[in-house]
Amino acid sequence: MQFIRKFRSPLLALAIATVFSPGLAATTAMAEELRIGTQLKLMTLDPHYADLNENNALLAHIYERLVRQDEHLSPQPALAVSWKRRAPTKWEFKLREGVRFHDGSAFTAQDVIYSIERVRDFLKPPSGGFQSYTKPIKSVIAPDPMTVVIETDGEAPTLPLQMTTLFILPHKTNGFATTEELNSGAKPNGTGPYKFAGWQSGERLTLASNPDYWGEPPAWSDVTFRVIENPAARVAALTTGDVDLADYIPARDVENLKQRNIKIESTSASRSNFLQFDIASETHPGITDKSGKTIANPFRDSRVRQALTMATDRPFITEKILSGYGTAASQIFPPGLSGTSDKLKVTPPDYDGARALLIEAGYPNGFSVVLAGPGGRYPGDAESLQSVAQNWARIGVTVQPVVSPFSVFMTTRSSGEYPLWYGGCSGEAVTLCLDGVLASQNEALGTGSLNYGSYENKTFDQMLTKAKAMEEGPGRSEALASATEFVMADYPTIPLYHFHLIVGHSQKVGSYTVHPRGWTMAMQAAPPTE
Amino acid sequence: MVSAIIGRLSQAFLLLLVMSVIGFIGIHSVGNPVFNLVNAETATPEDIRRATVALGLDQPVWHQYFRFIGNVFTGNFGTSYIYHLPAFQLVMGKLPATLELAIVAMMIAAPAGVLLGLLAGRRKDKPVDRTILRLSVIALSIPSFWLSMMLILIGAILTGWFPSGGRGPTGVFLGTEWSFLTLDGLRQLTLPALALALPNVALIARLTRSGTIEVETQDFTRFCQAKGLSPRRILFRHTLPNISVPIVTIIGMQFGGMLAFAVVVESIFNWPGVGKLLIDSIQLLDRPVVMATLTFISIAFVALNALVDLFYVVLDPRTRRSA
Repeated sequence: MQFIRKFRSPLLALAIATVFSPGLAATTAMAEELRIGTQLKLMTLDPHYADLNENNALLAHIYERLVRQDEHLSPQPALAVSWKRRAPTKWEFKLREGVRFHDGSAFTAQDVIYSIERVRDFLKPPSGGFQSYTKPIKSVIAPDPMTVVIETDGEAPTLPLQMTTLFILPHKTNGFATTEELNSGAKPNGTGPYKFAGWQSGERLTLASNPDYWGEPPAWSDVTFRVIENPAARVAALTTGDVDLADYIPARDVENLKQRNIKIESTSASRSNFLQFDIASETHPGITDKSGKTIANPFRDSRVRQALTMATDRPFITEKILSGYGTAASQIFPPGLSGTSDKLKVTPPDYDGARALLIEAGYPNGFSVVLAGPGGRYPGDAESLQSVAQNWARIGVTVQPVVSPFSVFMTTRSSGEYPLWYGGCSGEAVTLCLDGVLASQNEALGTGSLNYGSYENKTFDQMLTKAKAMEEGPGRSEALASATEFVMADYPTIPLYHFHLIVGHSQKVGSYTVHPRGWTMAMQAAPPTE
Repeated sequence: MVSAIIGRLSQAFLLLLVMSVIGFIGIHSVGNPVFNLVNAETATPEDIRRATVALGLDQPVWHQYFRFIGNVFTGNFGTSYIYHLPAFQLVMGKLPATLELAIVAMMIAAPAGVLLGLLAGRRKDKPVDRTILRLSVIALSIPSFWLSMMLILIGAILTGWFPSGGRGPTGVFLGTEWSFLTLDGLRQLTLPALALALPNVALIARLTRSGTIEVETQDFTRFCQAKGLSPRRILFRHTLPNISVPIVTIIGMQFGGMLAFAVVVESIFNWPGVGKLLIDSIQLLDRPVVMATLTFISIAFVALNALVDLFYVVLDPRTRRSA
């Protein structure tokens, strides 16, 4: 990825421009085939196999969901035209009439029932990452072919949002389709705007437009996804015109691409990355005083957490490390999305105040701590650990950054070997991350699944539970925001940043709207208007 | 002869066994593949636990190993954690891409290297020799990632002659898809094949040069010269066969290396071959695929070595007599 950076000469840009500009006029006239270079590595054709962006983004061309999540994460009608809450535990979905699968069969309530039951009852681990969405569903019935009534065990005020995750497969009369069957055998058969044309696992997916699509006709006659995981190779493919659009562009390549007539679009991802403390342990071998002796866990004191937060220079990370393609974070989801607070602000670092707080908490000489994180998983992950280490050195806290590949990091972290680490959370709604990262660990309620440090705040738990029970709307948003404000005042984590998703495209694409979930989709790309 | 074959086979078997232990322990100690399988940002501990149990990862290592070996003996390498396809089938599916890349690269490297080496050896210490020697040092010492990127920069970005990566359209031959059968496929193949070939050209050229110089001083060459044979005939009929044993050995070894470890070139050119599959699978901790790939590579190396030995017999009459 570095080689492009090294050749940032205007002369080169000129050469590139001359090579490619004559071709542009010709290609815009017949903007039909779209070639996308993507980091997302399609693993399987079974849309229920794993809840990973890799599968969700690419299979969304072929399969559709009852409810679609738009660029503001709001639910929009897709295969369901409307939905209504008939009772606290009962939702009714009216299905879209006249929708046909790619093989010509009609879409009915049977397909919805089949899909939900396939995930809930049929799929066995390690597949079935969607089961957390179907678990609360008690029964699915069809009073008539175009209506589905879903009954849940508890109250489910956000069931339509949960339905934005589940792809609808055509039902089979004899049992459920296995993953192997969907991977090999017949063509994937969905209702989406593009039909499956071919694939090589981890390499390429080709799609053809579906002329009978119920919605707006697909803009591209053919779409080819090429999996190019190496960011440098992806940027090179975009530069040479091998692909028309490439996702997950490293921020440092943006300027260079712009010089070469590549358009750049970006948006703040619906996620955050943060530092998380081990709060459960009384002592931890990774926390010592300056002489190397293990000390009582300072993170149990909220003043220490506050001091460390105050001493973290977040604007530096977003401006310098992410080259401006990031938003400094003060909470778990980027501000502006439903359920976030607009009162929480990122303050510039205050080292004197932080030092005073540390003295007050009884650490006049600071302490030493191991800070672990994954390398190369998120934009700016390893670099921000270095930056935090330098920040904290100014208040006497010595940080020893430990960076390892994601799966290695996760294995070591889950064995409790780190006192402090870099984490991430993403999801379809802010509640998912509030539940996962900040709520107390409670397996029965399914909360605290990412709260590896066992942070507990009973008042916040109650506020969150109350807010979650509310109907979608401004009231719920406000309740979630005030719960967030309440819990962030206790400094449970140090929010670092919401990185931006960057997509680059050539002139063959008129415009592209980046989806905050990180889904790269041909539906987001519009041909140029003449 | 039979005992030699049996010895060879048992050696190969032992090698495979040792390789499997090392590979298995290695990939096991790296980390838990479950985190690449479930969405680590949304999965509950329960999800992770259930997936771990389903993959048998909760068992002790030796237990997992024996289960793996037992399955291998029945020809089953397991199912890829990530792609949910049989692991060996996945490796075999990537083989044509790697094979054609390695063959094309070797078809460039072997003749070019031998010719340059003969030329340099014949003209020892002349300008030609010194130029070839220097170029070969450069070609051998530049890292392959840099060479690959320079090739992309020059061949794709600056001139636009070749695509920057990926495998082109394929044609079907013997029931398999090969990209050298289409013109576009050949264009896609050129840059990665060059990236693989250039260091090997240098290696083979140096080897040929030193061999040539050594043989040139021997009695039989001088005898040939005295007999009045043309320099060309001496070079190709007498010198070349006499230096071919080490050259064939190195070609065999390097070819094996291209099949298995063209990781860097395959990654940078996004060439969907075995090397890329191996590195991707190691990153994703897709153990069945890693083990299947390693086993395949070991077998390929053993087979290539046997082939090279067979070639000795053809090339060197002395080995025939001793056997």
